[in-house]
Order: sequence, then C-alpha cells, then structure tokens
Amino acid sequence: MEQLNFSYPASRPARQRAHVGVVGSGDLEVLLAPLAGTQSEVVVRTSVDGYGQIWKSVLDRFFTRYDGAARIEINDFGATPGVVALRLAEAVEVSES
Amino acid sequence: MSADIVATEYASPYEAILARHSFIELSARERARAVLDADSFVELLGPFDHLESPWLPLQGVVCQADDGMVIARGTLDGAPAVVLAIESAFQGGSIGEVSGAKIAAALELALRACAAGAPVLPVILFETGGVRLQEANLGLAVIAEIQAAIVALRRYVPVVGVIAGMVGCFGGMSLAAALCSHLIMTRQGRLGMNGPEVIEQEAGIEELNASDRRLIWSMIGGAQRAATGLVDTLVEDDSAQIVAAVRAAAASGKPTQVRSEQIDHYLGLLAQVDPQHIDPAAMRTLWQGGGAPRAAGSGHAAEAASAASAAPQSTARTRGQIWLEALAGASVTAAPIWSGTGALAGETAQFFAVVPDPAQRFERARDNVVGLEQGWRLAQAVRAVIDADAGVDPSRKRPIIALVDVKSQAYGRREELLGLHLACAAAVDAYASARLAGHPVIALIVGPAMSGAFLAHGYQANRILALDAPGTMVHAMGREAAARVTRRSLEALDALGETVIPMAYSMQAYQQLGLLSGLLEGVDADAPGPRDIEQVRAALTAAIADARSGPRDLSVRLQSAAAQKNRAASIEVRRRLAQQWPA
Repeated sequence: MEQLNFSYPASRPARQRAHVGVVGSGDLEVLLAPLAGTQSEVVVRTSVDGYGQIWKSVLDRFFTRYDGAARIEINDFGATPGVVALRLAEAVEVSES
Repeated sequence: MSADIVATEYASPYEAILARHSFIELSARERARAVLDADSFVELLGPFDHLESPWLPLQGVVCQADDGMVIARGTLDGAPAVVLAIESAFQGGSIGEVSGAKIAAALELALRACAAGAPVLPVILFETGGVRLQEANLGLAVIAEIQAAIVALRRYVPVVGVIAGMVGCFGGMSLAAALCSHLIMTRQGRLGMNGPEVIEQEAGIEELNASDRRLIWSMIGGAQRAATGLVDTLVEDDSAQIVAAVRAAAASGKPTQVRSEQIDHYLGLLAQVDPQHIDPAAMRTLWQGGGAPRAAGSGHAAEAASAASAAPQSTARTRGQIWLEALAGASVTAAPIWSGTGALAGETAQFFAVVPDPAQRFERARDNVVGLEQGWRLAQAVRAVIDADAGVDPSRKRPIIALVDVKSQAYGRREELLGLHLACAAAVDAYASARLAGHPVIALIVGPAMSGAFLAHGYQANRILALDAPGTMVHAMGREAAARVTRRSLEALDALGETVIPMAYSMQAYQQLGLLSGLLEGVDADAPGPRDIEQVRAALTAAIADARSGPRDLSVRLQSAAAQKNRAASIEVRRRLAQQWPA
C-alpha cells in the first residue's frame, strides 16, 4: 500500500460533498468534500505501489477542468487510469448536482 | 413455514425478465435505499465519518471509508426501521471489527428502542463470507455480539434477513442469518457455514469439488434452502419482489417459534437421515415430510456399530473429557455431548463438553468438533436446563458451564446440505437464551476454541475464562489453514500476530482484547490435581457471582482496560452511532 498527496489551485468552493465507488477489485472509492480556501488537497491510498507518476498525470488532467476547492480522498484497489478518471468525473457530477 | 415464489403475471417470460430490476447488481447503499420507503433513507456512520478498520493498514490493505457496512434508518411501510447492508465488493463482505461493530451497535440501539416501547424493525442484507481473516479474533468476537443482539431483539420484533447473492452468506454470519425470524433468499444466493473452497481445502476434493457449481447450488442455493424450509421466502432477483417480501415478513410479526428453536423437529429429521444416501433430492423428500428413503439393510444402529469398531479407539482423553470428569464426575450422557452436575460454592452447576464420538453417524464429525448432532444436542441440553429452572427466581437459576475444547466445526458436504449453520445457530440461541433468562453462563476454555465451534459452544457466555496452558487457543481459523489462505508462511503469520493482536494465536494476546474475564495460570490442563481443580472451581464461582451482579448482555466485554485499548474502534462505533441515532 502506498499513500500519495497532491495539491492543486482552486478558484471556487466545491458545492457539496460526494461519495462514489467501492474499494473492490479494479475499482476505487472517491470522497469529495468542500474545503475552505483556494486549494484542493488530494490523498490517494492505493494497493498498487510505484505508480505515483501515473496518478499525477491523471490528476493533472482532471484539475485542468475541475476548479472546485475540495478535499478529495481516493481509496484505490487497482483501478486503471480510465476508471479513476470516470470515478472522479462521477464524484464531481454528484457534488455539483 | 411455506416457501413460495412471489410472482407477478406477465404475458411472456421475456417480459417478466425485462421488467425486473436486479437487486444483486445494486451496491449495499443502493440496496438499503431500495428496501426503505421512498425518501426515508438516512445513513448513519457513513463514509464521511471515516470509521475505518484500524487493522487493515497494518497489513498493507487499503481501507474503505465505511468499512463496507451501510447503516440506514428510515421507514418500512411507515414503521421505523433500520437496514444493515453489507457491501460484498469490499473484502468479500467480510466482517471486521468496525463493520461488525456497526451491525452489533445498530441492533443494540434497536433493542434499546424496542425495550423502551418504540419498536424499530431491523433488516439485515447479508452478503458475506464471514470473519475477515485480517481481523480474525475481533471479527469472531463481534459476530458473537451480533448473534447475541439478534436473539435479544427477536423477542420484541421480527428480525428480517435477506440473502440476495452473489457472495451468499457464510461463516459465523450464516449462524446470524439462521437466528433471524424470517429469511428471504434468491436462487442465486447461497447459505452455508463453510464455503465450498474451505471444505475442499479441509476435507479434500473427494468430499466436495468446490468448482462444481451445479452441485453446490443444488446443496446450499436458495431454491434448495426454500424447498427444505431453511429459509422462508424464495424470490427472483428483482428489487420490487425483494422489497415486497421484506415488507410482508416485517408485517407478519414474530413467528411463534423460530427455526433455531425447533430442536425436536430437526433432531427428528436428522434421525431419519441415512448419511450414506443423503443428497439434495432425498433431503427435500425427508424435510417435506415424505419419510426416509432408506436402502435395504442399511440400519443406522448397524452402521454406527461398525463405525465404532472400525474407528481407532484413542486412549488419550481430550481436555473436555478430563475437565468434565474433574468438575462434574462421570458424564450422565453419551458422546458427542458429555454433561454432568458439580458443586460450586454450595450450589449445583451444569457442565457441558463436546467430546470425540467415534460412533458418530456423520463421519466428518467424529472428533471433538461441532457438527450437526453436536449443535442440536447442545441446544437440547441447554434448553433442558432453562426449562427445568423456568419457575426459579433468577438469582437462583443454575449456572451453566461450557467446557470449551473444540477443534472446529465439522467440514463436510453432508453437514452443509443438512444445515450445519442452523444446528450451530440452535446452540448459540440456547446459550444466549439461557443468559437472557438469568442463568449465569460461563465458558471455560480448556483446549482449542476455534471459529464457528466456539460461537456455538461458549461465545454466548456472560463470562469467559481460559486456562493459560499449552493447547488453549481462540481463533477464527486454524494456524495452518490461515497461513494457506492468506498466502503467508507460518513464521510470517506468527510475526504478524506480534503487531496485529487479533491475528495472534496465543492466549496472552487474546487476553489483550478484553474478552476474557480471567486467564488462569499454573493449572495442569492435562492431569489436574486437587489444587488445580480447586483453583478452577474458585475462578468459576467468582465468575458466576460476577455474572449475576451484571447485566445479561455481553456489554462487559467492552469495559476492561484491555478492551478500551485494543477494541477502541468497537467502542467508538457504539459511541458515535448512539449520537447519530434518531430519537
């Protein structure tokens, strides 16, 4: 297991908290909660070690479109980058709805 | 008990299938939402409460923020209800300290509400392989607490269980399911004590081929369980059907006698079983009242006699035998359950031990293990004590002492087919009922206290004592099997136990979990002398007095300094759930 921390600039508060996904094989859980300030904090706990660079790429891309200030917790059980991106998008959809 | 398929009429079978909304495919949270009345769902201790397993990170396993358990309050046909939904996608729905404590705590709060005259209907959506092996002893302990709560709660309201699939319901949680007032199951669901893989591993592929799916579903699948009355309602995998069945079960109230109380009925059926010729079809015929299809010349007495003469007669006595004779004299009953009475500080206590039974008809249950007959006979024996003291003032009800020396539950094909989970649940039910009736129930661990066998024989006690001697042990799975399943060497498993206390195999480590009332040192467990016996009698006497002075539930297990430290999560779950619980 590996824990990774990231932070990104934000321009507005996230609307409301959202929880999606499950820590099951090839899947992940995302908890998104509004955060005060102009930063988003991301904490990734993943069962697969050594993929920090891939996580950074996926999150960099996600934050080119998402500008909410949020604490995002990711509990990952071996999801592929595509699944991670989908779950993040799903979390944002729930949070903004 | 009738098993019926709740059906709606459609013009064609295709239409019927297309009209369904799968329940199996729903997540635990979606299932809980589906069961409760529209818009009444309120989740308690949700993911943002972050009550995670304290033990998984120590083993490099990623946690889930709700530990795979959803607690939802809401209404069921307008009546206050609580739904407990297990998420099978996280760690196979396994029961860890937190996920299990969430069920136990919710049931305990529902019980408190019922006792205060404001009933809350409990619905449990089972989807679990049983104890989470990474939290072994705490998973087992919390399952005992769940079972205790179901037995207590069932006196007030029907406890409804659903086994939708695809994981099914196994291990100690299959006993919890069997204790429910009503069980609802789909064809895809499976209900049994030992999973097929476990049986194949423990008993060999000639006992059960775990990859033979057709055979497995024919034995423990929903259709067979419903046809033999081991569940009440068979439903299709359809949300609307399942919700309707849950509502109907809740509305039908408390059954006069739940399955785990029907001891004479099930012992009567078992007596008609010819173990050599039982299969799912034969069981259906028998269980539906069709009499025993028996092959010519296969009299049970003759079989038993030949089994006895063929079995090697071991001269070494088991710890259960040694201590029953030491404390209660010669047994007044034959194997597999030895029983007797003995004096403790001027009063008469009732002792029980599970002992080897070389003549046992079910060959997988000839050792000191809990099999079908052991479970039902324990239940019968304990119930006889309850009945005999029915009119006695609670302060003078006879103490019941379970001498615990059980290697495991019986691992066998016939055991699963014939409902070992129910036989063990019957013993759980009897011990819990004795405790609730006011009998001081004390477990004295004199040998191994393993897994489902300990749940059935000892874990419902008011107080648990253990001898600190070689060979005494409490665990969810044998050391060798646990090493195989978790893919560790025995050395690595032992090393893990040093840091992850619930994984450890020593009694000293077990004592740190706060579940023991006493660990008796310096007792010769194999050849007790008069001083050893006196020491044990004194400890039993003190435990009985202690049990009588306390509540009849298992709350004492969370009160010691050891529990405050090493079961902090169990305590925190209860504290925070009580805060969130709607009045």
